Amino acid sequence: MTIGINEFIIVSSLLFLIGFLGVILRRNTIIIFMSIELMLNAVNLALVAFSRYNNTMDGSIFVFFIMTVAAAEVAVGLAIIVMIYRQRQTILVNELNQLKG
Amino acid sequence: MSFGFLSVYYFFGYTGSIYFNDFSMMYSHLLFSTIWIPFICGLIFLVSVKDVKTLGARLLGLCGGVLPFVFAWILYFKYDASLLEAYNFELILPTGLESLGIFLHLGLNGISLPLFILSATVGLSAIVYALFSNAERLNLYVGLLFIMFSGLMGTFASVDLFFFYFFHEFALIPTFIMIMIWGGVSRHAVALEMTIYLTLGALLSLIGLIALYQQSGAEAFNMIALKDALLEQPISEVLQNNIFALLFFGFGILVSLFPFHTWAPKGYGAAPTGAAMLHAGVLKKFGLYGLLQIAIPFLPAGSEAWGFWLLLLGLGNILVIGLVTLAQKDLKQMIGYSSVMHMGYAFIGLGTFSILGAGGVLLLLVAHGLSVALLFLLSTCIYKRFSTFNMDEMGGLGQIAPNLSAFFALAILASIGLPGFANFWGEFIIFTALGESESTRWVLYLAALGIIISAVYGLRAVGNIVFGVAKESVIQANTGSKAGDMNPIEKFSATVLLGSLLLIGVYPKIFSDYSNKTLQNIYSDTSLLLNDEYVGDFKLERDTEYE
Amino acid sequence: MDILTNLLSLLFLPLGTSILIIALGKHRKKYAPIVAFMSAIGALSLSYILLRNLPESVHYSWEWLAFGDSKFYIGILLDNIGATMLAMVSIVALCIVTFSIGYMSDDAAKGRFFAGVAFFMFSMTGIILADNLIMIFLFWELVGFSSYLLIGHYFQKEEAKSASQKAFIVNRIGDFGFLIGIILTYWQFGTTNIELLSIQSGIDPSLMSTFIGFLLICGFIGKSAQFPLHVWLPDAMAGPTPVSALIHAATMVAAGIYLLIRIDFILTSQVLLFIAYSGTFVALFAGFCAFAQDDIKRILAYSTLSQLGYMAAIFGMGYSGIALFHLITHAFFKALLFLGAGAVIHACHHEQSIFKMGGLFKKMPITSITFIIGTLALCGVYGFSGFYSKDSILIAANDYNGTLFYFLVFGAFMTAGYMGRLIWIVFFGKANSEAASSAHEVSAVMTVPLILLSGFAIFVGLNAYWPFGLGASIVSDLDHLHHLSGYKEIHKWVLILGSAAWIVGLGVSLIFYGKGSSEDRLQLKFPKVFAFLQGRLWVDELYQYYVNHIQKPVAEFLSFVDEVILRGIIVRGGAGLVGVLGVGFRLLQVGKINNYVLWFFVGLLLFWLYGIDLF
Repeated sequence: MTIGINEFIIVSSLLFLIGFLGVILRRNTIIIFMSIELMLNAVNLALVAFSRYNNTMDGSIFVFFIMTVAAAEVAVGLAIIVMIYRQRQTILVNELNQLKG
Repeated sequence: MSFGFLSVYYFFGYTGSIYFNDFSMMYSHLLFSTIWIPFICGLIFLVSVKDVKTLGARLLGLCGGVLPFVFAWILYFKYDASLLEAYNFELILPTGLESLGIFLHLGLNGISLPLFILSATVGLSAIVYALFSNAERLNLYVGLLFIMFSGLMGTFASVDLFFFYFFHEFALIPTFIMIMIWGGVSRHAVALEMTIYLTLGALLSLIGLIALYQQSGAEAFNMIALKDALLEQPISEVLQNNIFALLFFGFGILVSLFPFHTWAPKGYGAAPTGAAMLHAGVLKKFGLYGLLQIAIPFLPAGSEAWGFWLLLLGLGNILVIGLVTLAQKDLKQMIGYSSVMHMGYAFIGLGTFSILGAGGVLLLLVAHGLSVALLFLLSTCIYKRFSTFNMDEMGGLGQIAPNLSAFFALAILASIGLPGFANFWGEFIIFTALGESESTRWVLYLAALGIIISAVYGLRAVGNIVFGVAKESVIQANTGSKAGDMNPIEKFSATVLLGSLLLIGVYPKIFSDYSNKTLQNIYSDTSLLLNDEYVGDFKLERDTEYE
Repeated sequence: MDILTNLLSLLFLPLGTSILIIALGKHRKKYAPIVAFMSAIGALSLSYILLRNLPESVHYSWEWLAFGDSKFYIGILLDNIGATMLAMVSIVALCIVTFSIGYMSDDAAKGRFFAGVAFFMFSMTGIILADNLIMIFLFWELVGFSSYLLIGHYFQKEEAKSASQKAFIVNRIGDFGFLIGIILTYWQFGTTNIELLSIQSGIDPSLMSTFIGFLLICGFIGKSAQFPLHVWLPDAMAGPTPVSALIHAATMVAAGIYLLIRIDFILTSQVLLFIAYSGTFVALFAGFCAFAQDDIKRILAYSTLSQLGYMAAIFGMGYSGIALFHLITHAFFKALLFLGAGAVIHACHHEQSIFKMGGLFKKMPITSITFIIGTLALCGVYGFSGFYSKDSILIAANDYNGTLFYFLVFGAFMTAGYMGRLIWIVFFGKANSEAASSAHEVSAVMTVPLILLSGFAIFVGLNAYWPFGLGASIVSDLDHLHHLSGYKEIHKWVLILGSAAWIVGLGVSLIFYGKGSSEDRLQLKFPKVFAFLQGRLWVDELYQYYVNHIQKPVAEFLSFVDEVILRGIIVRGGAGLVGVLGVGFRLLQVGKINNYVLWFFVGLLLFWLYGIDLF
């Protein structure tokens, strides 16, 4: 069986969905970050697949941007998590609810 | 920062123009000074004055109160009723918002002149009384009162509609603060309720004003430009109806039109004296002034469409609220309700759409402003003697404080329309205007019942307070150096108001002549707007049905 | 001095006096009586000078207020009728002020009293001199205000408070009709000027309207205490007696009749018919009520009411001149009676019940004689002033309508009856209380006015001898009467019936009530009749019922609606609704990031759906 674009789309969407559910449903902030990374990588996969499918370079170039931004975001995010842990001794999201109305 | 620049710019341009002998503009600048003198005084009191009981502070306060009053009367005597554009003492200062057509355009015409002097008079009385009172944080109180005063002077002196609204809000916010801090019972809730309700009303009217400006295509956001634009091309009837509705209900809320009046009694009941005097006496007239000056002349078709509601709701004020006033036991609430009732007369006077009716409304506005301010002043004086506002617990004031009783009785009699005071002329002219046409006569029959209702509650109040024998505890509290009869400050404040009432009551021509000329001017011009050809070319935006 | 200055001084002298007395401040008590007295003398002299050189009719007018095409004026009109009223008012006022100096000598607030009386004189003069209906209304209300002030003079008493309130409010009810009538007149005729109105209604009688006429006489009904607005007059006796004499006998209540005389030409025949009948009704009704009163002032108050009914009746029959005549004679003898009653009350140490007096003739001869003179004048005894006016009334009534005539004669009989009751009980027999037995004649300052007034009570009926041609309208009306067909027979018949009325009335009252009784024999022998008479047709109770059971609940209901429904439910409820919305939205803010991300995606989804037009 040839692996066409559809299979890539399915895999990418599944990964994205898993990541999304992880963001929604997990309590641990680090896990949420990992899920965000998963979503980003799912998008990367899709972009590369389309780039190959359309024989253009646009998608691949964009992948570089995403990877850079993801890296920077993780760096900043993890630093914030560490500071939060120092302040509140917890990184569970249901305990970090000072913005509750 | 821009405010700083603007003020410096004004100050130099302004003093420069005075010095470089522009004496023809002197009176215009005098007009402007009646606005910024109280404002500066207010700022000084708020920021720098620590103890109001010192001579310096008192002198400053007196200047701030007396100078606008004196200037207002000077302007009165210099008023020239034959001016073609009908606005005297015009002063136009730039604001940086010229692209929107907004200038600081000041001026007085026959409609705003009496209200302007009313504002100056009530302001003088309120400020003198407040200066010598014993409120806490008096410097704040007097400062806020001055700012409110300057806003009031500005409202009636404005020809520009933006500043008309601006000065109104300027005067409303200090009211809110004053009620919050120095008010009586339940002041937090009441202050919020009153301010939000009034701001809602002002907002509705602002939308109406802006709509009027946009639709008329006037070149600047002021009354003169609007009139010129509307003379050339009037607005279509449907639009007039809608804009008038906005203005009517917006201004109506501000003037406590039935059934939008519920903010008034509790609000006045909780307000401190100066705030109540200035608000009920002057700020309330803002709405009716707006209707008289702007809504009715510029929107004749809209006025006609809503005329019935003007009459009906005004009657509601008189009859329903009149009866409600009968059931009040608290003196301040009774005065608050009675002030709502008298506004009913003004609305039905406007509903006649005649010069006579409009003139009567003007007289009544001035008279009512003076009398209700006087009543609030005296109610505080009475409170000082009895330590309660409940009329059932009072009695025998004639024994303890004969002068105060006399003032109070006269104030009540003035407000119920005894001849010799200005209210009589206002009410009488309005009634006469109602009797003119068959269609409004039924309103006359019902509205005249108001004179009986007001006599009942007014005299009942006097009976409960002045007549009878005073309780021992009250007599004790009032002998010697304590409250007793009226002190000179109370007498001065009350006399200023009562004297003006007498003056206008005995010689109403003092205001009616100028008002008459302006009203004739306005109504004869706008009669052009009533001719049938106007509906013609103007295309209006209809709401398209969504398929 | 020229006429205008004279008129203006006449009008403003009392006002100036009032202001002066107030301005005297602490010295009021000492100087007020003198100032008031000088002012009354001044007013009388001004009137004298004015009337001596009075031209045919004096008319001044000043524009006072104008809006658009409508103009309102203040002006002066002084014709024969006004001049007659002016003369009477000045003389009566002088006598009453003099009397008050003695009567109020031990009152701490006499400054306020004299200032009030002076202000009243100003308002009354304003009504007399007014040249248009609006100005009459203006001073009409001011007269009501003076009355309020003076009735409430003893302000610490509960009855003074309710009486003064009642007087003002009932007057206001009358003024309500009067005001609407004036406004409708203005639009109907284009003016409220009396002279112009008479000219216009002469030219175009179709302009006159019964509806407007009825509205205009509402003022009269209120001010002159006709049925059903009569309830304030008896209660008004709570004021000092000179006030009752001045205001509620001689002048203010007469202002209503004066108004009628002034607007005579604008009243249609239906209105006149109504006035005639209602006047007769009041004449009888008040007479019945007087029998059940034991307060000397109240008896006199009801007597005033009855006489006002006579004046109204004769006016309604078309003889406004005779109404004026009776007004003038009544003013003098009623003022005399009230002042006499005041003297009696003063001597008996403020005892006002007639059953606690008795035998005062011997103790207070001057007062008694003058009082009896007044009574005889009131009863229409031949030779006294009341006879001449009452006689003419009865003659005119006979010609107008037989039934009304007999009613009026019966009324005369009743007048003699209740006045006889008063006299026999108060002045004859034995003293019935401590106060009465220690009574003695009052001081000269009080007896001189009494004597003066009794002179007028006797001679003022001879209207042919009135100086300066005053009372011309009376002469013309009397002339008209003399030329009625069958005048001689009518006159004879009226003389017989009239004399019979007072003779029988005085006699029956003497026999029935006896001299100096200490209790009311009518009450003893016919208690049910007495109770019915005391009920006075329960009009007062009706008003009280209305105030307490209709007006008050309605007011409180409306207050409830306003407070709870309008303010509570709608306004604060609206605010509450917004608050609920706020609480609702607050629930969304859980603080958990997960939920926020979910909402973010939901929003994104909605936007996408909107973008692809699924919405």
